[in-house]
Amino acid sequence: MLDSLLVANRGEIACRVLRTARAMGLRTIAVYHHADRGAPHVSLADQAIELDSEVPTSAYLDIPQLVAAAQSAGAAAVHPGYGFLAENAGFAAAVEDAGLVFVGPQPDVIRLMGDKVHARAFAAEAGVPLAPSALMEGTLEEFLASAREIGLPLLIKAAAGGGGKGMSIVHDAAELAARARTAMSEAERYFADGRIYAERYVERPRHIEVQVLGDGRGNVVHLFERECSVQRRFQKIVEEAPAATLPAELRARICSAAVTLATRANYRNAGTVEFILAPDGEFYFLEMNTRLQVEHPVTEMICGVDLVEAQLRIAAGEGLPWTQDAITTTGHAIECRVCCEDPARDFLPATGTARVLRLPHGAGVRFDGGLGEGQAVTASFDSMIGKLVCRGEDRRQAIDRAVTALGELTLLGVDHNIDYLARVVDHPAFRAGELHTGFVAEHADALGTPRLDADQRAAVVIAAALGVDDFRRLAWDIPEPYASIGAWRN
Amino acid sequence: MATSFPFMLDGETHLVTIRARRPRLVVEVDGRCYTVDEDPAADGTTRLAIDGRAYDVRRTREGDRVHVKLDTTNYSVGYQDPVTAAQHDAGGDDVLRADMPGVVVSMTATPGASIASGDVLLVIESMKMQINVVAHRDGTVETVHVEVNQSFDKGAELVSLHPSN
Repeated sequence: MLDSLLVANRGEIACRVLRTARAMGLRTIAVYHHADRGAPHVSLADQAIELDSEVPTSAYLDIPQLVAAAQSAGAAAVHPGYGFLAENAGFAAAVEDAGLVFVGPQPDVIRLMGDKVHARAFAAEAGVPLAPSALMEGTLEEFLASAREIGLPLLIKAAAGGGGKGMSIVHDAAELAARARTAMSEAERYFADGRIYAERYVERPRHIEVQVLGDGRGNVVHLFERECSVQRRFQKIVEEAPAATLPAELRARICSAAVTLATRANYRNAGTVEFILAPDGEFYFLEMNTRLQVEHPVTEMICGVDLVEAQLRIAAGEGLPWTQDAITTTGHAIECRVCCEDPARDFLPATGTARVLRLPHGAGVRFDGGLGEGQAVTASFDSMIGKLVCRGEDRRQAIDRAVTALGELTLLGVDHNIDYLARVVDHPAFRAGELHTGFVAEHADALGTPRLDADQRAAVVIAAALGVDDFRRLAWDIPEPYASIGAWRN
Repeated sequence: MATSFPFMLDGETHLVTIRARRPRLVVEVDGRCYTVDEDPAADGTTRLAIDGRAYDVRRTREGDRVHVKLDTTNYSVGYQDPVTAAQHDAGGDDVLRADMPGVVVSMTATPGASIASGDVLLVIESMKMQINVVAHRDGTVETVHVEVNQSFDKGAELVSLHPSN
């Protein structure tokens, strides 16, 4: 087994990884930028090394500094967490070149899956279903003919595109040619590359992904699926395992496709194969993430495993911790991503100081966080400050526990989406499992901030007034009894 | 000596005014009166009863915002400190003035006395309420402009402090 680990990350995932490493008896090393000097991940580790960088995020992206830190601390291995350098093949290679163990896949596998075109081709060779698509390689007429063969509706995209530019949904065959021309000219204008492609547009798609674990020697197991259909602007908000509703036979086929892909890639580490599931039960490969996923705890909670421990054991060369038959699930788990952003202002990232942070408790409740009370939430880093994960014997109980725990979770001093998350998971359509990636847009009105009546408004402003020193003095001639208080003027 | 406090919620200003302090606190919001009781709980939560309806409250103040959690729901309420505002408006914070007409009930402040922020300087009766006038900063009393039983008009000078450095 490894004897020491450097975690090249910050926030909740750094804390998450450090906890498991400590539990396994490893010597732990954290890295941090000056802006994070009071952060929980710094105190959780046995040793913390400050990274020198003017821009805080750049510190966690500085490969030479991270490798040097690992070497100076005598770390045996480096865990990248997610985000930052987790899917950077150059980082994985640099760690290995320094003679250290990278807790992740081989660099060439990271590179393969990181290139969407190559990954698609690789998946096609492996026999993993892809959404039918037509790439414009010859004339417009040839492209239109192959696009018509796919059938409507179609999604036309710029081959070099992104951000919705040059993208168009075609429902009517008569519009196809005109839309294709428009898309080509937009693609040319925005990306200086007029190539477009068409793929079958899946209406009301669901996002289903499969957790896999490979040992790098051709052995791969899956830990069933997660559903991440509740998204805002392609960002997952609420995830769950198992999927809200999924016939057993379809579930087996999706999991099997993921294992096939990972096996063919000779995959090492924990990884996630993402699929789009159409209402008709067809599913299509989206991409493979070659790292621990943000939403991995829902899998841990239904499978009763520690995926970080599995990662570390695989990285140490111990092989897969479990056979496929030994992996079973019980119950249902739901994760809510707690973000400092203001739902009332179109989810603009919010900054401030976490003056009060009280975590929920109770059966089946887990909070993975990385923000300490009194710590500043700045615009330097991701707005996600933690994840509330609730497990129940069934989906209804998991939802009930999530609603209760979200109500109990208290974060004051900076705006956040906790109330919004409670409205999402408590929504009748969510409870009914009627999920698709357009869920939050479809129910935007019901998920908005509820209007208050006069008495409710009065209660809120009276509660606020009693938080103002001058008002308290006039009212009671006594100061605030308990100082859960930030910057008082006096 | 402000007695009406403006709070912003949902884009509107709501005036909160203390209407009675004894036997129980009565607060007027948007023209309606509410009876208010407050009980601190052990974990930093406050139990608030408004017209008999109980709420668990947590709050923090950050600049011009009061973050309030009422039971399980969070609110961000805007509040502009009137004393701070007055300092900026008047270009100084040395003179305490009356916001409304009233009469002096008792006087604690004496010229030359050192006072700390929050000390009661005098008690006045106004609109059938007794109100403590408290020091809004540390300092020394320079002049007491009124005496016990004297009535005064809105805007009258009550107590002056030595100019702050």
